[in-house]
Amino acid sequence: MANPYAERQISHSVENMAEKDAEIGFKKETVIKLLSSSFKEDKTRLSGDAALLMAELLKVFVQEAAVRSQKQAESEDCDQVDIEHFEKILPQLLLDF
Amino acid sequence: MSVDKDETQQRLKAAVHYTVGRLCQRMGEDHRREFSRQVIAAIAETAFRQCDVFAKDLEAFARHAKRSTVSSEDVKLVARRSTALSIYIQNKSEELNQEQRDLKKKNAGKRKSRDTEEESRE
Repeated sequence: MANPYAERQISHSVENMAEKDAEIGFKKETVIKLLSSSFKEDKTRLSGDAALLMAELLKVFVQEAAVRSQKQAESEDCDQVDIEHFEKILPQLLLDF
Repeated sequence: MSVDKDETQQRLKAAVHYTVGRLCQRMGEDHRREFSRQVIAAIAETAFRQCDVFAKDLEAFARHAKRSTVSSEDVKLVARRSTALSIYIQNKSEELNQEQRDLKKKNAGKRKSRDTEEESRE
């Protein structure tokens, strides 16, 4: 059996590398579990391609929410993005997705 | 059983929260405008609930196509409301397909010897 500690160390260093590479996103497994738990029928499955695409879509959703909130904060001349800024952009965000 | 399911949901929520936090932190660094913890929590919660909507849509689309497996075509339909997003997702899908074709080509050489071995065994 492989040493789990060594494995963890490897995955940790890979993660650190990814952090530098600006590649932040949702994990495929997380997306699969997230979506599968909301399916009404048990037999519905998610293909690998679909999971990767949904991870991308969710990332865009979060980035869009963040950027729009930032813009709102900017227009109100605030240094920190606060909940009121997000509240203002939320309706249009939900209409766009 | 339901306690178990509750815990899984909580863990999933935590995973979403973590990724949203990192995405927001990166964006805050890039634009010199930090996000408050409340905003990160709110975006995470919204994304989590939006997932539920996406999942139900995906399931309905797959079922309409008489499939039980959600495919990338269904994801493209989920992104139909905004033109830019739909184009972006279509390009991503093409990219993924291209990557897989390249991988297959790369593995084809390696696999060939193994395949002939298996064939002779059969």
